[in-house]
Amino acid sequence: MHIADGYLSPLTCAITYGAVLPLWFVAFKKLKQTLDEETLPLIASLSALSFVVMMFNIPIPGGTSGHAIGVGIISILFSPWIGFLSLSLVLFIQAVLFGDGGLSTLAANSLGMGFVGAFGASFVYNLSKKYKFSLFLSGWASAVLASVFIAVILGIQPYLGVDTNSQPLYFPFDLKVTIPAIVGSHILFFGIIEGVFTHFAYKFLLKLEPTFLEGKI
Amino acid sequence: MKIKKIYYFLFALVLVVPLGLISSNPAWGEWGDEHYKQTIGFVPKAIENTHTIDAPFSDYTTGFLGDVGSYYFSAVLAIALLFAIFTILHKVIKIEKSKR
Repeated sequence: MHIADGYLSPLTCAITYGAVLPLWFVAFKKLKQTLDEETLPLIASLSALSFVVMMFNIPIPGGTSGHAIGVGIISILFSPWIGFLSLSLVLFIQAVLFGDGGLSTLAANSLGMGFVGAFGASFVYNLSKKYKFSLFLSGWASAVLASVFIAVILGIQPYLGVDTNSQPLYFPFDLKVTIPAIVGSHILFFGIIEGVFTHFAYKFLLKLEPTFLEGKI
Repeated sequence: MKIKKIYYFLFALVLVVPLGLISSNPAWGEWGDEHYKQTIGFVPKAIENTHTIDAPFSDYTTGFLGDVGSYYFSAVLAIALLFAIFTILHKVIKIEKSKR
């Protein structure tokens, strides 16, 4: 789901940066309120966990692969703002050090996997927390909603620019291709993995530090 | 503090991180130029000519370690960096708060 440099039109990059900058600003303000000696190890660990989880590429039928994101658990434990900011930081490191994603597309990726993923998880969690499967469901929903955002951003690119031979300049596949490929694979595979991860990571943390999670369930 | 046990969990996950190398399938949409030539007959201009930054450890490889070593290296480097960034942010926030 990491959009690489060159895939998005300059206009898309500009608009996504215009949207993400104020959101980063708000998220940083929230981090200021949250980050202290107690929360630092957990926020840093969960961000690290998200990076590592994304390294587990899982092959699926059709010759592609994918991975969980790990954003839901941070959103549920702290707040979606913290999840969004942590994920943006992880995506920045992936782009700059490992060439995964890109800098021109960091805004789009942060909005998708970060913002939509984080707020999607916390929204579904708040709706469903009475039920047994709420953790799984919010993890699943966060990955699926993030994939919808990424699929739409990619799928509109063919309409945003063609070269002199009428061939697409940017990402060449339209929504008819991106929605089933990206969203479909997240509904069936990666969302499930994200859901399972969110469920077990939460239960595991509950065992480690019950007082921290008091009132959360 | 019991929460530090999460470090063991993180450590255990890093230990098995080379499992992520088993799949040679690329993620959907994260293809090289060759894939575009094969599927649609051309490489979109912006993708072909993109000036992407030269990532020092592109594709989680290092040049001085093998695939598995590089993957471990990448995980450890990123974790160290994330802890460093949050620690620095924490220090900055603390200084800012004490000034008020």
